[in-house]
Amino acid sequence: MSSHEHPLTPGASFVDPKVLARIGNLELLARTIVDGFINGIHKASYLGVSVDFAEHRGYMPGDDIRRIDWQLYARTDRYYVKEFEADSNANFSAILDVSKSMAFSSGGLTKLDYAKYLAASLAYFANRQRDRVGLVTFDSQILERVPSSAKHLDVVLHTIDRAVAGRPGQLRDPLFRMTEFFKRRGILAIISDFYEEPDVIIDAVKRFRAQGHDVMVFHILDPAELEFPYDSASSFEDLETGVRMPIVPDNLRDQYKQLIEEHTSTLAKRFTEYQVDYAVFNTSTPLDYGLFKFLSARERMIRLR
Amino acid sequence: MAFLAPLLLLSLAALAVPVLVHLIHRERDQIIQFPSLMFLERVPYRSMRRQKIRNWPLFLLRCAAFILLVLAFARPFFTSATAVAGALGGGREVVVLLDQSYSMGYGDRWARAQAAALREIDALGPDDGATLILFARNAEAGARSSIDHASVRSAIDRAEVGVEVTRFGPALKLAEGILEVSEVADREAILISDFQKNGWAGNEGIAFAEGVVLRPISVAEPDTSNLSVASVSFEREPFSAGEQVTASARLVNLSTSNATRVPVTLELDGREVATRSVDVEATGTATVAFEPFIVGEDQRRGTVRIGDDLLLRDNAFHFTLSPGQLVTVLIVEADTPNPDSSLYLERALAIGSTPSFVTEVMAVSDLTADALVGRSVVILNDTAPPAGAVGDALTAFVENGGGVLAILGERVRWSSGAPALLPGSFTTAVDRIGSRGRVLGYVDYSHPVFDVFNAPRSGDLSSARFFQYRPFTVTDPESVLARFDDGQVALAGHDLGRGRVLAWASTLDSYWNDLALKPVYLPFVHQLAKHLAGYVDPTDWHTTAQILDVASLYASSGYRLEPERDDPVAVSPTGDRLPIRVREAAVLFELADQGFYEMHTPGADVDVPLAVAVNTDRSESDLTMLDPEELAGAITGRAGAGAPGNLVARERSPEETEGRQGLWRYLLVVALLLLAAETVLSNLMPRVART
Repeated sequence: MSSHEHPLTPGASFVDPKVLARIGNLELLARTIVDGFINGIHKASYLGVSVDFAEHRGYMPGDDIRRIDWQLYARTDRYYVKEFEADSNANFSAILDVSKSMAFSSGGLTKLDYAKYLAASLAYFANRQRDRVGLVTFDSQILERVPSSAKHLDVVLHTIDRAVAGRPGQLRDPLFRMTEFFKRRGILAIISDFYEEPDVIIDAVKRFRAQGHDVMVFHILDPAELEFPYDSASSFEDLETGVRMPIVPDNLRDQYKQLIEEHTSTLAKRFTEYQVDYAVFNTSTPLDYGLFKFLSARERMIRLR
Repeated sequence: MAFLAPLLLLSLAALAVPVLVHLIHRERDQIIQFPSLMFLERVPYRSMRRQKIRNWPLFLLRCAAFILLVLAFARPFFTSATAVAGALGGGREVVVLLDQSYSMGYGDRWARAQAAALREIDALGPDDGATLILFARNAEAGARSSIDHASVRSAIDRAEVGVEVTRFGPALKLAEGILEVSEVADREAILISDFQKNGWAGNEGIAFAEGVVLRPISVAEPDTSNLSVASVSFEREPFSAGEQVTASARLVNLSTSNATRVPVTLELDGREVATRSVDVEATGTATVAFEPFIVGEDQRRGTVRIGDDLLLRDNAFHFTLSPGQLVTVLIVEADTPNPDSSLYLERALAIGSTPSFVTEVMAVSDLTADALVGRSVVILNDTAPPAGAVGDALTAFVENGGGVLAILGERVRWSSGAPALLPGSFTTAVDRIGSRGRVLGYVDYSHPVFDVFNAPRSGDLSSARFFQYRPFTVTDPESVLARFDDGQVALAGHDLGRGRVLAWASTLDSYWNDLALKPVYLPFVHQLAKHLAGYVDPTDWHTTAQILDVASLYASSGYRLEPERDDPVAVSPTGDRLPIRVREAAVLFELADQGFYEMHTPGADVDVPLAVAVNTDRSESDLTMLDPEELAGAITGRAGAGAPGNLVARERSPEETEGRQGLWRYLLVVALLLLAAETVLSNLMPRVART
């Protein structure tokens, strides 16, 4: 447990990612993470069939006569139709980067595993809110796509489970292609390590925003990518390109950390401009802790919006 | 540059190990996979490049130290002497010993020996000191430690084969002395010879100092053959006015193959008089006898010669034959002597040819001064000496070189008017009959009279018993030549003027002793007479390097040489006129060449020419060689490294060369210094930079 590294939220207990790694069933894992959360991912974007009453309105020709409130007709002798809050009719899609760089791990979970758990948890969460869940995996191309559906949770989880990091990745082209899939506004969770220039990333993501999607960006990083804890001179090999480079870590650790810090802060700033929720997830951080923290912040932001 | 253990150089390949470890092992094991080098590539590259440059000095130091260590263990050495001198910055001290004994004239030995010596001189560096020692029986050194190698070369070119025998001792002793005083560390003696076994006695007290190397270079052939005239003997018989001489030559075959039909020629006075053909078995001898020839009043020169073989010096044997010398002896008896008192003396002196004795017996009363003229020896046989004018004449006879033997028998009375010839005085006779007589208990074998009895079984002088004798008291104890076993003087003698006087305390007949009945009597009497007459056996030949007493030579011919007056001169076999050195009383001359020397006395009224035959020492004819390495080991105390029986000029072995240069020590020191510098440097550098 890394509870000592993170301030405990009262009443919440967080699960160490290494413990999560021992759970084979993604659904069980997602349930383990999500159970106990009160709030949903979002508020309903549309009115629809729901248990929660929203308002009455006058009957209009064409309305389903089964939705006429007959009790109110008895009292008022007018035809009114009941309308409810439509909580379960949003499309949620997880966009999961399975490029080779996501296979990196400095000891615990790989970034891809962490991203899978995150995607599964979000899908489970969305499904519990009766949203339609979908999934797209990509590297330099779109690899798997599960259209959003209320019945696709199992397919989504299965697809997530099968995802393997194999090839070098690219952000721009696959995301541009995805804009064709998501015609209807929905919630998109983009999970990646974002090894691209900030302009490229923003350019790729902002198109979803232009389509009206609610976009959440999860930036998955290994602690080694953040801290660069190496001390002996070594050859560093790029996981995706295979390029090797002799490095004396002591000499450039500070510069590296500064660069990665600039990168994440630039992304945070730029995403904020486009009203994209952005969060850096350290794979050594308990997933439920990170998720809880992110959703809490998001809820606050939604209220402001 | 060469290496004693070149295979060790393969370990230099180990140099690649750290590089390969650096390049391969590190690449393999130290590779860290990282998601993306996007940010790392933005870090300025100079930090890594500078780091690598900082490592170069350490890397190079370690590599250099390792290379030097490997080179040191590979035992390098320079093959060129010039390179050695240049690399080590020091000269060498080289002594070249060149054998010029006459056996070096065998075949082309001398040419090869000269070539080998010149090669050694040419191999010297400019700072190397060189000394040339030419040796045979004796050794002679030219300029010592000369860096003028051209003059040493010239001396080698000028040197010739001599006529003397090989003696390694003096040459090595001289070389030892030269190398001992040298302050150079690298000292070497190079012995170029045919390494005859006869030249080395085994232990001659020579031991080179530690570090001094003796390198033998043999020019001897594995198989040799040599036939030599070892000696010539003569059988003389009186013939008419002279002598008839039969010469016999002894030939020795010192090879492993038979010599057949060898022509043997006798030359007399430069003229060939006889030739014989003879077969000589391998390692055997043969004797060739020639027809007799006559030796008259004149000296004759002869040569026995055989056909040419590879060693010429021992193919001819020279000799001279002088007419026989007569020793005239006058025996003076008492007027009434014992019957036959001189019988034994006469009979003994009648026998013998070298010299022949001519005896005459005379009563003392008949003795006159004229009777002494022409006599060599006067024997006063048991008689009182003549007195008066005859006595004076006798004294003068002695002082002029004559000899007198006084036999002190019972009739001897030495009155006061008698000439004072005796070396002492005597008393009345002592009778030892009751005690079975006395024997000779002490004999001075160093005296010429007793010299011939010195060797074992050369005559037992103690076998004679003396029953009566006259006690004799000498004025000079040194004059006693023999004593009886009771300590009384038996024979005493002294020189008087140029003559000699002996006093015999008993008789030389059979009255007082039985000496005359013993075998030693005859040679004893002969010796007495020869000593008193100053007789010297004529020498038919001499050997080279012998010192000749010219005065004795003339004396044996009956001529008394006066050095101041006669001013003797010798004409060598090569025709050179050589003045003969006069040293105090002796007139000495060294016989340096083989052949005939002619002695002249140009200062005398009448020139008396005499020929002297000189032959080489035949011990040099035996070409059997010793192991050069064994000789070198005995001199240096270190076992030789060469193969036994190495018969060709041997170059210095790589082990010797490497051991002498010792380059590995320098390399090791430099390597250690580099390692020390590496330690200091790496400690001074920051930890990161060392990585």
